[in-house]
This record gives sequence, structure tokens and C-alpha cells, in this order.
Amino acid sequence: MDPNERMELTTRGTVEVIQSVELKRLLEEKNDPRAYWGFECSGKKAQAFTE
Amino acid sequence: MMHIGQGLVCGDKIQDLIRSGFQFTIFLADYHSMINNKYGGDLGKIRTTGEYFQHCFTSLGIARERAEYIWASDLANRKEYWEKVLRVARTVSTQRVLRAIPIMGREMMAKDTEAAAIFYPCMQAADIFEMRLDVACAGIDQRKAHILAREAGEKLNWGKPVSLHTPILMGLHGIPEASIGNYDEDPKLNQVIAAKMSKSKPEDNILIHDEPEVIDRKIQRAFCPAGIVDGNPILEYFRILVFRENKPLRLERHPKYGGDVEIESYQQLEKSFTSGELHPKDLKANISRILSKRLAPVREYFRKHPRPLEEMRRIGSA
Repeated sequence: MDPNERMELTTRGTVEVIQSVELKRLLEEKNDPRAYWGFECSGKKAQAFTE
Repeated sequence: MMHIGQGLVCGDKIQDLIRSGFQFTIFLADYHSMINNKYGGDLGKIRTTGEYFQHCFTSLGIARERAEYIWASDLANRKEYWEKVLRVARTVSTQRVLRAIPIMGREMMAKDTEAAAIFYPCMQAADIFEMRLDVACAGIDQRKAHILAREAGEKLNWGKPVSLHTPILMGLHGIPEASIGNYDEDPKLNQVIAAKMSKSKPEDNILIHDEPEVIDRKIQRAFCPAGIVDGNPILEYFRILVFRENKPLRLERHPKYGGDVEIESYQQLEKSFTSGELHPKDLKANISRILSKRLAPVREYFRKHPRPLEEMRRIGSA
């Protein structure tokens, strides 16, 4: 997958990327960058940290 | 229990990143949950929920070996971690940290905010640096935490994490008339968070475990007035969950009402709905069918592994 395809896949469905140029550069420089998503562990429907 | 906001919006985005080569960490924020008083701060129950989440993501198609799971409390076992928390805290004012409290789903400047809450945004930033992450993903309601992390990173010469924000799914009853609460200075974002927080109404969202008939019943009762786009959760589910891949969709419809119809894009769907060509019943029947099908592997997985779900029922709601 070339960096453009990876950029498209990484950003689709998002409402905001801070910043797109940084992400573009990251994908050009690294094949396996590190990302995360954090989750509060709650059974309640409304949660902080993420959804 | 996990709802489709977490299961599908987060789950799909995580899979996108894994496919584009990212090493992905799913961070189980047990300490943060304790600070935020989940399950009354009971870490045992909080961890049971974290274990259950791992099963949920596996059932949604993220294979165990393709994502790394890290507990916040394990990260906090490292002494360097706490040094990072303190260093981040030195870069921001107390006022600023308090303004970030809405990331916890709490209102800004509430009088009953516990002192523990001060740690939360600083820990969230330190987590990113301790795990040496390039990209932090979250719902848009977390942007304040990420901005804080980026500013701290810049001041400390630790680099700025790229932030990727996804939409927050509307509840099935739509946006509440008046968005009550003081979560953000930006009225639009305030409304989004207020809508997320109002999910205490029964049957306001779809759980990843829901049987097809339950999904159907919830969707039938959802807010979806003919021709109205604003605040319409059904249209939003099509836009965010179905058309995220920009693939055409075959909308099934009884021959009596015009038969099946090919829809090329979300824009076309919206146009056909506003013009009255498509009826709320058409959208509801189809979204119901699509979601039932997408969640079939989850139901199958938990039929084979009922234990984590039983544990969740045993500990009750947080």
C-alpha cells in the first residue's frame, strides 16, 4: 500500500485530524507507526475517554 | 455493555489503522475509570469490564495477535510514568486542566469535582508519551486531552502526537431539544457531548449483542421524521456506519413500494429522503437488516464464549 492509500484508509470516517500534514509525513517516514485508542472500563452507556 | 458507537465506530477505525500498517494498542484505562468513579471505583469490576472489552473487539474482527492490550495500571507500575505525569502537569495551569475535565464526561467547573480528576488529563497525556505513540485516536469529545498532550509534548521536546477524532454516534432518539450541560465552549461540540451523556434513556442505543428482533424494535421506535435530516439518527447511522467505505448500496424495498433501489452515495440517499422518494420505513428496515448482519459474528462469538458476558451481567451496571 502506498502512503496515499494508507492516508485515505487512516483518515476515512474521521471528523478531525490534528494535523493532516504531520500524519502524511509520518506515513511517509514509518511503515509501522504506533497508535492507540484508550477505553474507560465501564458498563454504562455514556463513557468518558472514548466512544 | 458495549454499544455500536464503541463497537463499530472505534472497531472499524482500529481495523483501518491496522490495515495501513500501524502497531495498534488498545489501552484499558482501569485507573482512569477508577478516578472517574466507575463502579464506585471498584477496580475488580473495572477490570472485569476491561477483560470483556477484549472479547468484544476480538468478536468484532480484531484478532488478538493484531492488537496489543495494555492496562493503565501496568503502565503506572513504571516509575518513569509518574515522572511524565508530573512533567506534563508542570506545563499546564490548574485552570486549564479543569477546563479539560469534560473529557471525563463531567461538566466544566462543577463544584463537586474530586481532586483526583486533576490527574486524569495529565495521565492521559503521559500515557501517550510513555507508550511512545505517534497517533492518538478517540471520539471528538476527547480533543481537549489531545490538544493538551500536543502542547505539553512541544514544550517538553517529546514530540506532538497526531490526533485522529471520530464522530460520536447520536442516540436513537436524536439530539435532545436543548443541549443541557456545560461541557465545551464550542456550542456544537457541547451539544454532541450532551447528546452522548444523555444516553441514560432506555433503548436509546444499539448494543453489539442485540438480537435481530431487538435491533428491529429499537430502530422502529427511533426518531426519523420523513424528509428531515437534522438530528436524524437513522440517516446518521447510514452516513457514519454504512457509507464510510463509499461503496454503493442496494436498498431493499417491497415491490409494492417501488422495489429495490441502488444508492451510489450517502448524498444520494439524503437527497432521495428529503425529496420523499424514500420513506422512513425504507431506511429503518434496511439499517436494521444491515446492523443485524454486521453484528452476527459478535452474537456467534459470545454464544461460544458466554462467560465474559455473564460476568458483566453479574457485576451490574457502572
